[in-house]
Amino acid sequence: MGDIIRLDGNRIEVSADSKEGMLVPGIIYVDPELERHLEAQAIDQVANVATLPGIVGVSMAMPDIHTGYGFPIGGVAAFDINDGVISPGGVGYDIN
Amino acid sequence: MKDLVGVLYNSVPSGVGTKGALALSLDDERELLKKGARWAVERGFGTADDLDKTESGGCIEGADPAAVSGKALERGKNQQGTLGSGNHFLEIQYVSEIFDEAAANAFGLFKGQITVMIHTGSRGLGHQVCTDYLSTMEKAAKKYGIKLYDKELAAAPFNSPEAQQYFSAMKGAANYAWANRQVIMHQTMEAFSRALGASPRELGLRLVYDVAHNIAKVEHHTVGGTKRALVVHRKGATRAFAKGHAELPESYRHIGQPVLIPGDMGRASYVLTGTQKAMAETFGSTCHGAGRLMSRHKAIKAAKGRAIWRELEDQGVTVMTAGRTTLAEEMPEAYKDVSNVVEIVHSAGISKKVAMLKPLGVVKG
Repeated sequence: MGDIIRLDGNRIEVSADSKEGMLVPGIIYVDPELERHLEAQAIDQVANVATLPGIVGVSMAMPDIHTGYGFPIGGVAAFDINDGVISPGGVGYDIN
Repeated sequence: MKDLVGVLYNSVPSGVGTKGALALSLDDERELLKKGARWAVERGFGTADDLDKTESGGCIEGADPAAVSGKALERGKNQQGTLGSGNHFLEIQYVSEIFDEAAANAFGLFKGQITVMIHTGSRGLGHQVCTDYLSTMEKAAKKYGIKLYDKELAAAPFNSPEAQQYFSAMKGAANYAWANRQVIMHQTMEAFSRALGASPRELGLRLVYDVAHNIAKVEHHTVGGTKRALVVHRKGATRAFAKGHAELPESYRHIGQPVLIPGDMGRASYVLTGTQKAMAETFGSTCHGAGRLMSRHKAIKAAKGRAIWRELEDQGVTVMTAGRTTLAEEMPEAYKDVSNVVEIVHSAGISKKVAMLKPLGVVKG
């Protein structure tokens, strides 16, 4: 997995050059204590979401992040309505 | 508490089965998918005021039942008004701490008050919609030349027919979930009423808020000074709109949107409120719960030889469950401490703590 930079007490950044194809960086809201429980696969999923066309801002995850189907659970991502995508993995099986 | 949990357990169908669900004809079900919680209110489950206190009024316009497969409809027709299994629950709690008096006042919360939290969704119907469209979207990704770094990211351009079809099916599933909680809330109020011999109104039972946490929506957000229409995906994340937003009920508009954060069944849950910082940083989103620490399998192993229900009983929490392994899978130590999770979003400023709720009785699927 690529470069993780701590931005402040509550956030880390998954830099945009840490994985091929990332269009934007990832940001995970997590403190140093919960960071110890971060799954490598979940961080990788935050980076993967950042490769999807039309992503706006950053690929985000909340502190209750864990590995999900495609997108991490705890993930937030926004895509442009004209040149972005929609992905069932970004919603999951338990809809609503 | 034991009696009350027993009455709730018998009034709200839970577990993997479908016993006790509303019997829906296919026509009923199609109408429900289009109308969401409004469908339930029209049939006497709750009141119009509940819709005012529900995200998007409990209905996303544009749901298309024709986009929902026969298999999904089949799974959904016997599960409306049921809790289901897994992490879904109905919990009796009390307000143990108030962090923000003004917000708590506006939401009608006070210290020592009894609350009920309901966590469930679109059941088998939503699960089937996801399954159906994952394969559609995988093919669509290939067709439109989207390079997938992980097959599970299957996606299609939002304006493509495949994407629009998924979106209108997903809306139907989201509406099914809103109707489901509306029906269960009504059943819960009636059960309280029977058990305590007073009307829901006399008991002061009313909806604080109903919010989704697995959904994609078209929303307008300001990005770099420009207002843009975006498809916001929240997967295990909760909408947390700031005060002043037109989507908030009038009585909360000067405070912000209530955000419900269920924790594990032993420790606590929270009510938060949305902030301007969330609007600026996270498209108006925050966390959704404690987050698992152990896989279900690992939790079952860790619970071997223990009586989880008794451990909870000793902490003052009465639990009733339908599933054999549910309590092991869902035991408190299988989750992160929700207080740690909430502390981060609070201190990052993307939502603010309003109240802490402690569990007293739990119905688990």
